[in-house]
Amino acid sequence: MSRLADIQEAFQRFLLAADSEIESQVIGTERVSVETRLGIYADGYRSRLIEVLGSSYPVLANLLGEADFQTMAAKYVATHESTFFSVRHYGHQLADLLAADAEYSKAPLLAELAKWEWAMADAFDAADAEPIDSGAFAQVAPEDWAELRFEWSPSVQLVALEWNVPELWKAVTEDTERPEPSLSLQRAGWLIWRRALQIYFRPVAAEEAAVIAASRAGQSFGELCVLLCEHLDESEASLHAAGFLRGWVQSGLIVNKR
Amino acid sequence: MASLHPPLGFGLGLRVDHYEAILADNPEVDWFEALTENYLVPGGKPLDYLMRVRERYPMVLHGVSLSIGSTQPLDRTYLAQLKALAARVEPEWVSDHLCWTGIAGRNMHDLLPLPYTEEALANVVERVRTVQDILGRRILLENVSSYVTYRDSQATEWQFLREIAERADCLILLDVNNIYVSSVNHEFDPLDYLSAIPVDRVQQIHLAGHENHGDYLIDTHDHPVPDPVWELYGAALRRFGNVSTMIERDANIPPLEELCSELDAARQLAARTLARAA
Repeated sequence: MSRLADIQEAFQRFLLAADSEIESQVIGTERVSVETRLGIYADGYRSRLIEVLGSSYPVLANLLGEADFQTMAAKYVATHESTFFSVRHYGHQLADLLAADAEYSKAPLLAELAKWEWAMADAFDAADAEPIDSGAFAQVAPEDWAELRFEWSPSVQLVALEWNVPELWKAVTEDTERPEPSLSLQRAGWLIWRRALQIYFRPVAAEEAAVIAASRAGQSFGELCVLLCEHLDESEASLHAAGFLRGWVQSGLIVNKR
Repeated sequence: MASLHPPLGFGLGLRVDHYEAILADNPEVDWFEALTENYLVPGGKPLDYLMRVRERYPMVLHGVSLSIGSTQPLDRTYLAQLKALAARVEPEWVSDHLCWTGIAGRNMHDLLPLPYTEEALANVVERVRTVQDILGRRILLENVSSYVTYRDSQATEWQFLREIAERADCLILLDVNNIYVSSVNHEFDPLDYLSAIPVDRVQQIHLAGHENHGDYLIDTHDHPVPDPVWELYGAALRRFGNVSTMIERDANIPPLEELCSELDAARQLAARTLARAA
C-alpha cells in the first residue's frame, strides 16, 4: 500500500474505531497537542452524524428529549458507518436499531416512529410523477381489465404500524396536545404519499394494504380481485377492487397503467 | 493562463431556512451557492425550491463528497449524478474541497486533510483531470480548515494548492476564513498564503465565522464573519481584485436580512479597497 493510502487507512480507523496509530503520523505543537488536534476530528465526526440524525428524526428527538436522543444517536453512530455521499441517507437503519436494542425495544413505539419519519422523508424527496387522470380508464375495454397493471407514484410508502404513531407525530409537529401512546390494532398500515409537493397519509385496512402491496409488486387487476376473494365473495370482489382503484386514482397514487 | 468567469458580485449560501424569504422578498443577493449533495435527490421540494431560486438568481454548485484526495477510486455514480444536476441547474461553476472524505466505500462526512507530498499531489492532479473530463468543465477546489500537520508533508499548504491548480489546470475557491483558521492552528502568516496563490486561478472567495478555543480555532460557520477574517479579506481583495464573494453560514442561521446586511459589509469593504487600489 502507498504511504498516502496508509495514512488514510490509519486516519479512518481512528475516526471509526478510535485506533491510535495515526498519532505517530501527526505533529503537535507546544500550544496544541496531537491528541487535541486529532480529537477535533473525532468529536466532529460524532457530533456531525448525531446532528444529522436529529434532522432526519425531529419528532423522535423531540419525544426523547435532547439528552436521551444524544445517547441513542451516539449508539447508532458507534455501530453504523456511512456509505453514502449524502448524509440524508445515513440514518436509514435507526428503526432497526431501536427494534433490536434490549432497552429501546421495551418501548416499541420508538422504532415505529423512526420507521414513520424515515418513510415521510422518502416520500418528501421521491421522484416527481404526474398522477394518471381517471378519464384514462374510460377507454379500457371490459375484456382488458383483468390484465391491467398499475404504476404507483414513486412517493408511495406503506408502513405497518401497531401504535398511534401518526397521531403522535402530528401532535408533536403541530405542537398540540400529545395523545398517550396506545395500540391501534385495527389498522394494518398507513399509506404515505406525495402529490405535487404536498405529503398525505391515511390508514389502510388489512385487505387494502394487501391489495396495494400486490399491485405495487406488479400484479394485475384480475389478480387483485382474486386476492380480495379471500375476504369477499367473487361478485363483490371486483366491485371492491374497482372502488379501491377509484380511490387510489383520485388521491393521485397511480401514475400510469399498462 | 487560466481565464476566469466574470465576477458575479456578492452571494450567499442557499439554505432551507431562507427559501421562502428569498422567493417572497427577492433580496439583493447577486447569486447563490447551493450545496450539491442536498439536491442529489430524485424530486420533491428540495429540487423545486432550487429551480425556483435558480430562475431568479445566478447559481453555483458546491459539493462536499467529491473526495478528490482519496486513494479509493472516484465515485462514478456520484459524478454522474453531479453532472445531471449541473445539466439541470446550469450553474456558473462547480466546486468542491481539496481534501479526502473517506476510503473503503465509507464517507466520514468531513473534509479531511491531505499530507503535502508528491504522492498526494500526483493523486489529486490525476483525479481533477478525470473529473474535469467527465463534467466537461473546469472545477474549483477550496482550501479547507485543518487541525493536523502530517510528518510526511514536504511542502506548505499554499505550495500544494498552487501546484495542483497549475498542474491540473483547475481553479481555486479561496476560503479566507479557512486560511485564517489554519494560520492560527498551524502558526503561519496568512499573508504568506495569499501571496503564493496565483491571481489568475481564484474565481470565488468564501467568508465565514469560526469558533475560538483559545489555542486553536474550529471552522464552524456558525458565527458572523469576525474582524481578523474581514482584515484578511481586505488583503485578498488587494491581491486578487474583484472576485465573486459569498458568506457561508451553516449553523445558528440568522434571518436572511441579517446575512444580507453582513453581505453589504463585504460589498462596502470591497468597494473601498478596490477604489483605493485603482
